[in-house]
Amino acid sequence: MLKIQNLKAGYNGMEILRGIDFEIKPAEIVAIIGPNGAGKSTLLKAIFNLCDIYSGKIIFKDKDITKLPTHYLIQEGICYVPQGRQVFSTLTIKENLEMGSFVLEDHELFKRNLKDIYSKFPFLKERENELAMNLSGGQQQMLAIARALICDPELLLLDEPSLGLSPKAMKEIFEKIVEINKEGISVIIVEQNAKKAVEIADRTYILENGNIVLEGGKEILKDERIKSIYFGGE
Amino acid sequence: MFNQLLINGIIAGAIYALVASGFSLIYSVCKFVHFAHGAVIAFSSYFLYLLFSILGLNFGFSVVLSIIFASILGFLIDKIVYKELRKRKASNTILLIASVALLIFFESLILILFGADVKIIGYIKISKGIEILKAIITPLQIVIIIVSIILLILLFLFMKKTKLGKAMRAVADNKEVAEVVGISAEKIYSWSFIIGSAIAGIAGILVGLEQNLEPTMGTNLMIKGFTAAIIGGVGSVPGSILGSFLLGLVENFGIWFLPSGYKDAIAFIILFIFLLFRPQGILGIKR
Repeated sequence: MLKIQNLKAGYNGMEILRGIDFEIKPAEIVAIIGPNGAGKSTLLKAIFNLCDIYSGKIIFKDKDITKLPTHYLIQEGICYVPQGRQVFSTLTIKENLEMGSFVLEDHELFKRNLKDIYSKFPFLKERENELAMNLSGGQQQMLAIARALICDPELLLLDEPSLGLSPKAMKEIFEKIVEINKEGISVIIVEQNAKKAVEIADRTYILENGNIVLEGGKEILKDERIKSIYFGGE
Repeated sequence: MFNQLLINGIIAGAIYALVASGFSLIYSVCKFVHFAHGAVIAFSSYFLYLLFSILGLNFGFSVVLSIIFASILGFLIDKIVYKELRKRKASNTILLIASVALLIFFESLILILFGADVKIIGYIKISKGIEILKAIITPLQIVIIIVSIILLILLFLFMKKTKLGKAMRAVADNKEVAEVVGISAEKIYSWSFIIGSAIAGIAGILVGLEQNLEPTMGTNLMIKGFTAAIIGGVGSVPGSILGSFLLGLVENFGIWFLPSGYKDAIAFIILFIFLLFRPQGILGIKR
């Protein structure tokens, strides 16, 4: 569904990704893990054209989407949830969702999607007229994900969705991600919480220093060497 | 006396609110201080003077053209100066310095084009005021208050109800996320200048009818509008409106105790008090 070939990207001339090959198939969850500064977030940003791409290709459904503007990517079916519970805190919950569907021209479609979102996240409907800043951390992260889902994407990019959340909220978020995936939406998830991410993922890429050093399935959970480096030696 | 000061305060507040709301709208969306907003106001007054008093065009037509002119001027200032600076990754301080330079530039331009002497638009012949509750108010002043209130309500509804208004609030709130959901921040910046400057145009027209025109009028109004925005909470349009009426009232009630020459001093003292003790203003959120 999405294929990346020999991607080199970074910021202001600095190369962070040094030739990435990556693939995600329809309805898969793919986790990207690795140490800080490995370029995990940059990889998501490169897909969403939020950093500088120096060479390489990103292909989505047989179409070259490298360096396409954001609104175009959303219309193509890719949505991105940035790191750190990013919501419009001074807007109401409903307005947040409305802004999530900014690129949709069709108001009826928005209404349909909103109904759908409300059935998936009932607490959002209950509090639709409250300001987003009044939500708890976990709820804000849910809102951020809901805001991305309202465009009905085929591919969802999640940048550290569990960052700074309580263990309970973290668990709920991961459950939600699996639930979203079961509806056929492909998910690329970048995580510090590597163990949890690998557990829900169909496949995992390990990124180090801007290169992919390993690709595998759930079996990497048992690999002693990887365990000691990425899963805190548990 | 009390009623007269109250009405004078409200009139002043209405004018400040028109200055401050446009300024605050631009500040909240673009996050830098656009002092040249004052120049847009002054230019709109002078443009009305040119069209109506010199060229003798129909008054209503001249008013509409002046508002459009102010709007385009604001749009071009952003497009030609600020946008280019942003492209070069200029900080907000650089943009602020540029805005002061623009203010001086446009005032000098007015000076060259129209001269230093005071101009009068002269649409409304000096009329006798109407007496309401022992206070005297002229018909024009009533118009100023009504236009100001209607405009501020319309601005509020625009920001709350329309997609563009919500997108402006979204960019003001979190520009990065706005970009992520497909809102082009640059486009929204342009819109904030178009709408903010149109309000400035209306402010310029009303002030031009009420007072005389002089090249420095923009700076004077901008100082008051800026003070009002700080008092109310810069970046909050409702706050700036609240601050405007507060400033208008305090200034006018102040001269109950002090000679009227201290009117401007009162405004500055309030500005300093707020900057020292409550820099986020009345309605602003501490970040």
